[in-house]
Amino acid sequence: MKNKLMHLSNETMNVGFVKKVEALSGSSVRRCFQCGKCSAGCPMSTFMEHPPNRIVRLLQLGQGQRVLAGRSIWYCASCETCTTRCPNKVDLAAIMDALRKLSWDADGPSKESYVQLANRLFIENIRTYGRQYELRLGAIFNMKSGQFLKDLMLGPKLISKGKLKMFHSKNRNIGEIEGIFKRIEEMRKKGEAL
Amino acid sequence: MTPGKKKLSYSYYPGCSLHASGREYDISTRALFKALNVGLKEVPDWFCCGATPAHNVDELLSLSLCAKNLSLADQVEGDLAVACAACFSRLKTTQHHLKEDATKRKQVEYAIDGPASLNKPVKHILEILAREYGLAKLEESVKKPLMGLKVAAYYGCLLTRPPEVPELDDCEDPSIMEDILRALGAEPVKWSHRMECCGANFTLSRPGVVLKLSNAILESARLAGADCIMVACPLCHGNLDIRQKEIKEAFGAPDSTLFGSIFGSDLPIANTSEDRRDLPIFYITQLAALAMGVASQSLGFESVIIDPKPLLRDKQLL
Repeated sequence: MKNKLMHLSNETMNVGFVKKVEALSGSSVRRCFQCGKCSAGCPMSTFMEHPPNRIVRLLQLGQGQRVLAGRSIWYCASCETCTTRCPNKVDLAAIMDALRKLSWDADGPSKESYVQLANRLFIENIRTYGRQYELRLGAIFNMKSGQFLKDLMLGPKLISKGKLKMFHSKNRNIGEIEGIFKRIEEMRKKGEAL
Repeated sequence: MTPGKKKLSYSYYPGCSLHASGREYDISTRALFKALNVGLKEVPDWFCCGATPAHNVDELLSLSLCAKNLSLADQVEGDLAVACAACFSRLKTTQHHLKEDATKRKQVEYAIDGPASLNKPVKHILEILAREYGLAKLEESVKKPLMGLKVAAYYGCLLTRPPEVPELDDCEDPSIMEDILRALGAEPVKWSHRMECCGANFTLSRPGVVLKLSNAILESARLAGADCIMVACPLCHGNLDIRQKEIKEAFGAPDSTLFGSIFGSDLPIANTSEDRRDLPIFYITQLAALAMGVASQSLGFESVIIDPKPLLRDKQLL
């Protein structure tokens, strides 16, 4: 995708997608004049095939699929440096959130499945327990990502240091969390929320 | 809550990390507040704030979780004290967004089945120490000044960014940590990486990223002549402390490591520094409590990976 020539035409420009991103993020991509401050300060830009300023440029050109097909959005660390330094008040961190949500809802086609998996397990933990259960988070992540040996030496050490709890009890008011998840799903089903 | 005759007292949202991987932050926060005679009462039955993963993929969920926690916090008197930089950032962001956006506020109030409470002041431990308790009083309360301890104060991302949200300090050139360190008698060093990202929650999904970013932070602190790094975030602490040995292995001898062979040339950066000292990573509350004369046994030092005791003994602080 990276090296393919980009042909701009009514067929390849998806303006609807960009409007969705703008609605979700509450930030306009058209304010950007490509100064590149966001990418200059971005700690993750070396890991991305499209650095932050190019993501905005691609959105300006209606190239949503090109953005979603890459791994850039899953390498953003949400450090907010870009948003802090943008001279035109483009909230790039919020745009990244919006892009991840759209990719998440479509369940792909992002190449970056590990970060998605970690996010999914993290949110599952909240729904099931109310709070994070870090040992479970790490163990299930390793199982599901097939990296059985990842941080293998670290786990027992952290347990012995009291940093990982073996067992975790649910919040006694856990029902209230389930209610929050259900009502958000309900609003989305009815089209009352994005 | 204004400082003065009345005893300072806060409601307290520790967050998930402080009950597990960052337990020494919780332990030392409680010990410090006790030593300063400041009240701290934990919010009952709080939930996870959603941290970065929730807002990364579902902003409405993130806002709702935080709004729920803010309404739980309303049941406890006093401004809400938060120690974790991520929880602090999420709670402040939620208040900021919902005050500005009536539509989102309506959706969140439906989700949490109640009014969103947006007026309880949310305060980070740093601002409680520097502004509410006050630097002058803090300096007066010091029993054991941290003389000769050179500290790299590490802010990371979420304490100051984005502007207008955390309201803690300047978003590009903060000084609140250095001010506190000076009040404690320590010597803050000038260094380049105090606002750079450590890789945060990629520690689970992409540890290679964390190793690279955190290595740069440790290197910068060593170059500046720091004895240790001070943090106010359990994720930063985890990355710099728990992964420090791994970072050393990954960047100590370029080319010959498993890390280098897996990630190829685009990851490890040339490492010319001979200085490979272990850098103990302290929470702000551990250093402050130590200066207040709290016994080191009550500060959770047994839970950290890089043992800080040799350094403290060397500086005659133990």
